[in-house]
Amino acid sequence: MAAPREEAVVTGLGVVASIGAGVAAFTAALRAGRSGIVRLPADAAARCGVPVAAPIAGFDWKAHLARFAAAAPAAVAAAGRILRNAPESARWTAAAVLEAWVASGLGAGAVPPERIGLVVGGNNLHQAFILRGAEQFLADADYLNARYALGYLDTFQVGALSEILGLRGPGATVGGASASGNLALWQALLWLRSGAVDACVVAGAAGELSPMELRGFALIGAAYSSDAPGDPAIVSRPFDAGHAGFVYGQASAGLVLETVACARARGAVPLGGLAGAGVCLDGNHLPDPSAAGEARAMRAALADAGVRPEAVGYLNAHGTGSAIGDATECIAIREVFGPHAAALRVNSTKPLTGHCIQAAGAVEALATLVQLRDRFAHPNLNLERPIETGIGFVGGSEEPLDTAFALSNSFGFGGINSSVLLRRAEMFLA
Amino acid sequence: MDKSAVFTVVKAVTQSVLVGVEGGQITPEKSLVQLGANSIDRVEVVTGAMEQLGVKVPRVELIGAKNLQGLVDILHAHLSRAG
Repeated sequence: MAAPREEAVVTGLGVVASIGAGVAAFTAALRAGRSGIVRLPADAAARCGVPVAAPIAGFDWKAHLARFAAAAPAAVAAAGRILRNAPESARWTAAAVLEAWVASGLGAGAVPPERIGLVVGGNNLHQAFILRGAEQFLADADYLNARYALGYLDTFQVGALSEILGLRGPGATVGGASASGNLALWQALLWLRSGAVDACVVAGAAGELSPMELRGFALIGAAYSSDAPGDPAIVSRPFDAGHAGFVYGQASAGLVLETVACARARGAVPLGGLAGAGVCLDGNHLPDPSAAGEARAMRAALADAGVRPEAVGYLNAHGTGSAIGDATECIAIREVFGPHAAALRVNSTKPLTGHCIQAAGAVEALATLVQLRDRFAHPNLNLERPIETGIGFVGGSEEPLDTAFALSNSFGFGGINSSVLLRRAEMFLA
Repeated sequence: MDKSAVFTVVKAVTQSVLVGVEGGQITPEKSLVQLGANSIDRVEVVTGAMEQLGVKVPRVELIGAKNLQGLVDILHAHLSRAG
């Protein structure tokens, strides 16, 4: 086994989700086990083929950005200009990233902008924007949105964020379907370890799905699509015998990572660490998961950091509520952790936030970091009849959590497996 | 529709595209560049004004517009032609 490699320090966090805008509101919602899943209006549900979702509703992006106007006036002014008539996802992402940026204190200029990278996690981010453009185009091509050629590109978010924050280091999108967020964290970790950057902004960009994508997911049986009436908060049921598919959620997350040396030199307050990551393919173009592939990703993340499975006290599962996906992940967890799986605390954030697709990895890494920091494990909603008894699933209410290490899994269609190892902040920088 | 009504439409679209530009700054002799518009902003103002007025002007004709008055004149000519 190769020697463990250096971790990255997390110095900024930000999030916009259905259950809360801002880390404080989001954390409170996690603790309370509040679900952002709501029933869609009947006409939308009929068109989308899914009855429920966890949308970012009633979010005033300008008012939210104004919170950061005192700390980052130029960035907020630039965002207001750049994000007008932009894909919604870019607004949510900018709001989350700006929160993380302000929290990190990097705006004070201690690190040259040429030494700060930007990784936007996510591919096919702007599908709703694209469908609106297509409708406009088909109605009358002469009146196509002037910003279509910019906004249809995922990399619009790279350009927009780099202008808003004044970044001049390397930047790119990293796509891996539902594993995108973790892949972005992994990419940032590689850049930091390689010396390409001293700090790196990671944006977990919300996948702005259109009714067409939702319909597609329903068609192949991945998304929950029953039209049975009832409480929308109970239909997302990861690891429960009643699981019947994922529920789409909207969220963007921002994380600022830096090298230990960089954080130490500028006296930054660590919020946690990204200790390692594992990413591997199954050699499979289908949505089918593979326990062997998932286990390989978890083991690779542990090996990357030189951490034994027994040192991990918490696991944020991919846990979408898909019958095959949940069962496969249980096998993989048992394989990696052996008897320790029963002691491990395991939950899925998706019944609260919905499945945030491209952003899921970043949102759940953030959820993991705040749980490690604040020493709680959020409830598993709707887990009444676990499909597996040998795994330490968190119960229906918040539990205390005291562990230094946590894994967070994200698995994408096409056999893209990923796991990141996160660490609770220690006061080593003081 | 007379030219002052066309200008009113152009002004409203310009104001919606150029965040932070006050209505009083948007006068006929000003160019979009002078008002701070970038290349995409200029396309957006023109497309938005055309859509609101229900006219279609070939992009090549718009090259001649040196300021907002020039844009208004071209849009107005097309409106009149459309009857």
